[in-house]
Amino acid sequence: MDVLLQTLLNGAAAGGVYALVALGYTLVFSVLGVINFAQGALFSLGGYLTYLLMGGHISVSGGLPGWGLPIALPFAAALLLAAAGAALLSLLVERLAFAPLRRRNAEPLLSLITSLGAGLVLVNLLQLLMGAEGYAFPAGSLAGLPAVVSLGGARIRSVQVLLLLICAAVVLLLTLWLEGSRGGRALRAVAEDPTTARLLGIDSDAMVRLAFLLSGALAGLGGGLVGVSVSLPGPYFGIGYGLKGLTVLVLGGLGSVPGAIAGGLLMGLAEAMVPSGASGWRDALAFAILFVVLLLRPTGLLGRRLVEKV
Amino acid sequence: MSSPKASSDFGNSPLLQLQGLQVHYGSVQALHGVELMVRQGELVALLGPNGAGKSTTLRAISGLTAPAAGRILWRGACLAGLPAHRIVRLGIGHCPEGRRVLARQSVAANLELGAWLRRDSAAIRHDLDRCYSLFPRLAERRQQLAGGLSGGEQQMLAIARTLMGRPTLLMLDEPSLGLAPRLVEEVMAILAGLHRDGLSILLVEQNAEAALRIADRGYVLEAGAISLAGPARQLLNDEALRASYLGA
Repeated sequence: MDVLLQTLLNGAAAGGVYALVALGYTLVFSVLGVINFAQGALFSLGGYLTYLLMGGHISVSGGLPGWGLPIALPFAAALLLAAAGAALLSLLVERLAFAPLRRRNAEPLLSLITSLGAGLVLVNLLQLLMGAEGYAFPAGSLAGLPAVVSLGGARIRSVQVLLLLICAAVVLLLTLWLEGSRGGRALRAVAEDPTTARLLGIDSDAMVRLAFLLSGALAGLGGGLVGVSVSLPGPYFGIGYGLKGLTVLVLGGLGSVPGAIAGGLLMGLAEAMVPSGASGWRDALAFAILFVVLLLRPTGLLGRRLVEKV
Repeated sequence: MSSPKASSDFGNSPLLQLQGLQVHYGSVQALHGVELMVRQGELVALLGPNGAGKSTTLRAISGLTAPAAGRILWRGACLAGLPAHRIVRLGIGHCPEGRRVLARQSVAANLELGAWLRRDSAAIRHDLDRCYSLFPRLAERRQQLAGGLSGGEQQMLAIARTLMGRPTLLMLDEPSLGLAPRLVEEVMAILAGLHRDGLSILLVEQNAEAALRIADRGYVLEAGAISLAGPARQLLNDEALRASYLGA
């Protein structure tokens, strides 16, 4: 029973991170109809920014060996600032990789290439600065938090609980904001019909920028959370999460917010069921699930029918 | 810029004036110098066959399409370069072709989005009630998704949503398109009522007869230029117009 609870919680925590990444894709996809392939790189950036803001130093193989910020913030502050940093960089990605193409009415698929390019540039800049090897967060990063908590007899790493709670809170806030706020309703109107939204007085370009800002913040949060709970295995680690987020996006149904959340949890829980001795099979399992779901429901778990308008 | 001639014509100042409006889509020229005017409180019909440039004219006015040449004057001031979401703020409400309701949101949410620019929540509630009394069928379906409404109901929702923005000028693009004759009459009666209450309306229609019955004046657009203009009653009796559009 304890092992099961432990497995479920680990799975839900991983699933929460996948949901964050998938929600980031969903926000941009819903307003522009394209995937922002720079999302994974922003995830990496969030992890490294959190590390640096907490006072971490650059290793000997980095571009500035031994250099570190003159500050050492507590985890919560570092995470928030890292998310803000990733959000600003996401805006820059929009400006450089998306906006010029939109202004020229270019084929939307082209932005897949430009955003992939922007992501690769970002990851390689990170590698230049930080070096290729991994970083572990300094011991005591979560000061005041016991390493392990007991829950119904199960011993669970408290960072996993924290991660799950933060993901749940972010997902809940985002959903409430989309449903209830003035900006959220405007964003959904743009997602459904940009022309109509403009005729209602909504600045659709501003909403596109808002979508990028939010999706960048989600990626940054995810990167910082994974960094503190596991480690930063190298500048490309966000790309892996980005690909997993894409799987989740398709699994849940393109453009569906509840689908991204459900798909993330399903993926995280399924992976947690893989015994640790066979962890090499994790990604195989992820894609097997994706394969089966798409075979049965080509639009994903909660996706809408592809042809909606006549 | 004021026009003393117009005020002596009708006693009302021009609200909207198009001067030599030209629009290109790529290498195709859609409008070849359109001249048109709507005075305060007028109901003006813009008629013409399919592809004449009627929708393009409305899209240029509301800022969805940039003109290549010519001027669009709103209360005498040029609208050049203003984006669509800024033009709405000036009081130009554009109810676009093809209904374009937000299908995945409820009737009530669609109407509330129509008032997105407004902050006067008490007045918004009042206007909401007025829309529901104007279109009782929307009141019955207020919690339903707009995508589930019939074509006629979607058209009414699109009109009501534009009204929720409290426009000074209401621009409608083919509100009778695809509606049963009884519904066309109903929509036209509602527009006539809004006009009586003092709303200025620019009505784009292929159904020339229905539009001219309620309009003060009309313009006929052919191949991107105005070919005929005059008081609605005169156009209704115009031989050439009758032959080509009124099916008589």
